[in-house]
Amino acid sequence: MKNFIFSFLALLLLPAYMSGQVQAIKGKVVDSSGMGIPGAVISAANSRTSADADFDGNFTINAKAGETLKVSMLGFDAVSVAATSTPMTITLKEAGDTALKEVVVIGYGTRKKVDNTTAISSIKAEEITKTKVLNASQAIQGKAAGVQVISSDLPGSTPSVVIRGLGTALGGRNPLYIVDGMQTENINNINANDITSYEILKDASALAIYGTRAANGVIIITTKKGTGDKVSVEIESFGGVRQPLKKVKMAGSNNYSYYSNAALQSTTFSQDQPVNTDWFDEITRTGSYTQNNISVSGATESVKYFFSLGNYSEKAVLNGLDYGRTTFRNNNEYKISKKLTLSQNFSITSANSTPKPLSAFTNAYKQSPIVPVYFPDGKYGVSRVGDNGFASETGSSFNNVGNPVAQLNFYDEQQKSVTLQGGLKLDYEILKGLKFTSQFNGEYYTWKQYNYDDTKNIWLAANPNKVDSDYAKEFPNSNINLLTQGRSDYFNWNLSNYLTYNKVFNEIHDVEVTGGIETSVKGPRETLTIARKNVNANSNYWSLNDPVANHGVEYAPTVTSFYDVVYNETKLASYFGRFQYKLMDRYLITGTVRRDGSSNFGKDYRWGTFPAFGLGWIITKESFMADVKAINLLKLRGGWGRLGNQNVPLNDQSYTSGGNAYLGGSLLYNGTTISSQIDPSLSWEITEESSVGLDFELLNNRLKGTFDVYDKKTSNVILNTKPYFTSGLTLPSPAHVGEVSNRGYEISLRWDDKIGENVRYWVGGNFSNNKNELTGLKNVILTDLIGGGLGNGQNTKLLNNTTIGQPLGSFYIYDYAGFDATNGKMLYYNAAGDKVTQDALDANKDRKYVGSSLPKTNYGVTLGITYKNFDFSVDGYGTGGAKVYNGKKAQRFSGENIENSLATDFWTPNNLTASNPAPFNQVPVASTYYLESGDFFRINNITLGYKLPIQENNFISACRVYVNAINPFITQKFSGFSPELNGDGNPYGSQGIELDAYPTMRSFVIGANLKF
Amino acid sequence: MKKIYITAFVLSTFFFTGCADDYLDVQQTETVSTKDIELYNNNTGAETFVTSIYNKFLNWDMTSFGWIGLSSITSDDADKGSSPGDTGTDKDVLDALTYNASNPSCESTFIANYDGINRCNQALNILPKLDKADAALRNRLAGEAKFLRAFMYFTLVKCYGGVPIVDHLPVPALEADRVMQLTRKTSAEVYAFIEADLNDAIAALPEKTAYSANEKSRVSKGAAYALLAKVSLYQKKWQQVIDNCNKVTGYSLVSDYASMYKATGKFDSESIFEIYAQGAVPAKGIEGYSNTQGARGTGGWGWGFNTPSQSLVNAYETGDVRKAATIIFRGQTLYDGRVVPNTVENERYNYKAYSSAYTDAWETDVDIKYLRYAEVILMKAEASNELGQTSAAIPLLNQIRNRAGLGNTGASSQADVRTAIWKERRVEMAFEHDRFFDLVRTGQAKAAFAIDGKTFTEGKNELFPIPSSFLSQAGGLSSQNPGY
Repeated sequence: MKNFIFSFLALLLLPAYMSGQVQAIKGKVVDSSGMGIPGAVISAANSRTSADADFDGNFTINAKAGETLKVSMLGFDAVSVAATSTPMTITLKEAGDTALKEVVVIGYGTRKKVDNTTAISSIKAEEITKTKVLNASQAIQGKAAGVQVISSDLPGSTPSVVIRGLGTALGGRNPLYIVDGMQTENINNINANDITSYEILKDASALAIYGTRAANGVIIITTKKGTGDKVSVEIESFGGVRQPLKKVKMAGSNNYSYYSNAALQSTTFSQDQPVNTDWFDEITRTGSYTQNNISVSGATESVKYFFSLGNYSEKAVLNGLDYGRTTFRNNNEYKISKKLTLSQNFSITSANSTPKPLSAFTNAYKQSPIVPVYFPDGKYGVSRVGDNGFASETGSSFNNVGNPVAQLNFYDEQQKSVTLQGGLKLDYEILKGLKFTSQFNGEYYTWKQYNYDDTKNIWLAANPNKVDSDYAKEFPNSNINLLTQGRSDYFNWNLSNYLTYNKVFNEIHDVEVTGGIETSVKGPRETLTIARKNVNANSNYWSLNDPVANHGVEYAPTVTSFYDVVYNETKLASYFGRFQYKLMDRYLITGTVRRDGSSNFGKDYRWGTFPAFGLGWIITKESFMADVKAINLLKLRGGWGRLGNQNVPLNDQSYTSGGNAYLGGSLLYNGTTISSQIDPSLSWEITEESSVGLDFELLNNRLKGTFDVYDKKTSNVILNTKPYFTSGLTLPSPAHVGEVSNRGYEISLRWDDKIGENVRYWVGGNFSNNKNELTGLKNVILTDLIGGGLGNGQNTKLLNNTTIGQPLGSFYIYDYAGFDATNGKMLYYNAAGDKVTQDALDANKDRKYVGSSLPKTNYGVTLGITYKNFDFSVDGYGTGGAKVYNGKKAQRFSGENIENSLATDFWTPNNLTASNPAPFNQVPVASTYYLESGDFFRINNITLGYKLPIQENNFISACRVYVNAINPFITQKFSGFSPELNGDGNPYGSQGIELDAYPTMRSFVIGANLKF
Repeated sequence: MKKIYITAFVLSTFFFTGCADDYLDVQQTETVSTKDIELYNNNTGAETFVTSIYNKFLNWDMTSFGWIGLSSITSDDADKGSSPGDTGTDKDVLDALTYNASNPSCESTFIANYDGINRCNQALNILPKLDKADAALRNRLAGEAKFLRAFMYFTLVKCYGGVPIVDHLPVPALEADRVMQLTRKTSAEVYAFIEADLNDAIAALPEKTAYSANEKSRVSKGAAYALLAKVSLYQKKWQQVIDNCNKVTGYSLVSDYASMYKATGKFDSESIFEIYAQGAVPAKGIEGYSNTQGARGTGGWGWGFNTPSQSLVNAYETGDVRKAATIIFRGQTLYDGRVVPNTVENERYNYKAYSSAYTDAWETDVDIKYLRYAEVILMKAEASNELGQTSAAIPLLNQIRNRAGLGNTGASSQADVRTAIWKERRVEMAFEHDRFFDLVRTGQAKAAFAIDGKTFTEGKNELFPIPSSFLSQAGGLSSQNPGY
């Protein structure tokens, strides 16, 4: 470990000894945003010399001061400028919007998009900031073909990003994020305004350079740098309001009473209720959020600087749920010498939140409308009914749902976190075309939390017929309150050193070779938790351990539990190399290889090699295409690669404790055994992918598009197997036994054009389809992976030996067969095809696979128009083929509320053809009755902006005001709140199940950008 | 300059390769690694591996509902009980002897015993490595593990016939160990293995008096002799039965039969191998044992399964005190004053599973006395009779009868004494998980079940089916018992 730091420091210091002057004209070729243009050609006609700009756009040419230099680059308008002896900055203007000039980040380097052989979706800064949401990944929803984003509007939540289908069941599912070279798992700490590019590496040919971490895809995020030659100050400020996009109409008091009486077959509830509580309204408010950003940036010859400060603050719709985030970023780049550049980036993010339990949504759905929020005497309403059929403090209890308002009011939790992220990058040009890069990045995260449970008062609120002193009588040994506090931190770091060599031989052989080493360390995350009871109700005194100040309560006896968990550290040591070759500017070959060693695995199984290759052919550069004017670009590319997923369950064998026993007396002896088996060969999951793609630009670059097909196979998916019964081992053994296939295609198209001088418009869209399937299993018996629990003893998902041929995340439930017209009872098909009631069902035989919570298709559309100073754009997003389970409806126990549509249309002896079965009190089995289509199409974003007509040389150089509607419209088949249900992000967890789910929001935003 | 740079780069690569493998060795911090054996390298640590074997006998799958079904509800002593509509998963088919190869109780009992055997093998594997623990202690603990392993294989061979003998910890990738785990051995091989384990246990174990008050449930030399006698009985090795019974010394019959099944009767002079349960918090009892067999319905306290059959009631002679100690009759007042109201669903319940202090608790203080001195006497009587020493057998039989408040047996011929001993075993050990296997062992099954109104198919029902889920793991290495 120390060796790395020493070698890094050595490398850092070395260049100080290096110097040397070359008499030449120096300068840099940049685009209008200040980014260097690699490969620009500079020629001096008089001196008969020419030079190419390097990766950063820097060039040196032997020429006389004052003579005319011609600077040209494909995709830019050529310019002629006079040479100066001081370093020059030459800005090229884009020749029109074309992929020919675009540069993509490919991991340990960049490549001109046209020369790239792999599938990479690039999303630019303005696309990310257009949708006013917290996390950049949510903003890109629908904007990249083959990239499925399932997000939640819960503040601070992390969207699930699935790239070209899911290939693992137990392993990590998240893509690898690389933020300015730093590997990370979450980008909630990145202010979307600081992002300059967001690139999604999609195919194995592009991903293999990230080896054993790449199987879920890689997202490379680059943050902004200072540009231009003067100080630029930008301010963005917006504020918005949020409301649930869709509500579910619940039964009112009288309908509730009618239904419940029918269910209970008694007249428990009066059908003339004095109270009609809309619990959803009671627990929600109109949400509001604001964001303010200020950035200062600029560049001199030797320094580029960028500072930004941002603040995001949201009062969410759920009462009391607040979230705030402050970010600070400083990115600098120092030109130390002609050959040496040092880049530094640093960010601090502080996030605060007061979480509230999302089960409040479920409780609001279920709690009866006859219950008042408060009884007339000020006590919280409870679900008790008196003899008169009205809610009463002393009546008999009719359901087990708490008062959702009380639940939120009593819930007292706070979380704070600080993330420090930063790095240093050194670029040294050893000789022309040969560059050395050394990069170190680190991330420190610290988190703290408390949760105060006001145990006694919660009990009193739930039992209005009891008084304070009853608590001590009924629970003589119980605490009156419980305070849980947590602290957690980790430090991750990353160090890479690599060389890049680029040269054109004989003008037709363009070669670029990259090779290097890297180590990535995920430091041990440590979490401390302490729980104390009977603390002073005043939070100011929680830290006091003085018995007097603490009302005579000694500190130590109040500690009920404490934990210290240190998660395993993981380390990765890697070698990587890449060869890129372009022949005659049109034939492209790329080969990459990465060798990774991972500390996650046993000694003999920790090193793996991940090769890939790619081929490309720029057809339009062939002479036979020269006359085809309608086709501006036609490129065919394809490749194959092998990737790993090292984020898999580890087979750490450990002692099993808990086998305690008394051995004939009163002394309890501890018992220990080992009940798991080690499979020493357990290692990463391997994914192999072949893909082919076509890029094209037609009709003067107005129509652009890509088409991709891929076939991806994960051949050794880890699943939990049952050990041989005779081994006596009771814990499941993870083993490489499954095979998952993902096949699909992606299309994206975009038309850009002008009408006259003042109108520009575009129309675009993308569509992707993926077929996911568990294609095979080795000859083993799997331990059932049961998921999608509804909290009532019913589960909805299963993965075991019967799952072959089904997509991952499949629902496995009974098939609803309508109800019996004679009695209104729900019926289900059994394996024999007969209609039976749920008591007659066999859990082992009668359930079926009925589709997955993961969509098969995703699509996005975008259109926009600018007219003079106005801009207007609309984006939409939709998915198809997913199923969602209406978990909150399916969970119903007796005495809970129902949806209005059910309360007004159910089977009775007088209504035999109703849409819904007769009321029942039994917990219903999980069945297709509650399964609905998850298909939806939503307008994600409508933006209207107006640029104030301000002269560029004013103090305020630009000002744009805008209004923004996020998710204004949706069409969905699902009867619940939202068909986009990320849940815990796990296809075998609560993903795709609407239970305790945060609804999707509709937001209206007004804001302004200012530039000084 | 260039060269320096390149050298530095190459050097850093060299550092990387040189120590890369060590660099990737990361210590486990989330759980105690099994490589870290030192944590247990002391007397207390060594004991924990054997304690977990005793713990296995308290488990639901090992000793409770499934085992009750397999060893008791199947027999002519007991009916399924409970509500007619409550099958208790599969207790109805167990009662009717119509179970098939996917019967859950057959499967769970099979798995539970191998779980226990794994714990024995884990202990036997690690004990020799714990060199800082007392050698004599480790020797004794190994003896306990071998006794308990023998006991579990005896259960398996009684239930399923020949089963795979897993005598050491299997190495995951080793073909020989895979075959070992999946290949059924013959009954004779299993019995030989059990005897070898018991002989090792006899050599290693102390007399029961060597254990302190807190360790009375640890197995002793006497327990090993008694189990070896019973294993011999099942193999009709009559002389070996007598020899081993004679070595079970230091035990005597208690005078009050009923006292043995009360909390005060734990580890009395008659107890040889007893599964110990504590109901006081923190409770460690046999999970659900009392509850599943407790009276069901209004005024009851349990699920009401495994109820004494009419056939058993009829088996008691007039004046036999064991009837009242074994069977709770609806409407009666129990020894602790509890009235079992007439509102409970079944006429009779198992008294031996009743806990006075923790009646409806999931884990109560009810023990199971798997080996008692009374059985030693009856085994010796049976073996003597089989060897033609009928006159030696009769006084032994009478000891048991007299303690139960009955007069001497009237039987005198070898055949009559044999029948009398078998019958005595039934009433003496009713609801002690012996009856079904005893019927099979003695060949009385078909006739006895006929009296109880059930059909016992000879050539099939002697053994339970090997779980079909195991056979699918075994591929072709093992086959099913006849008739399933």
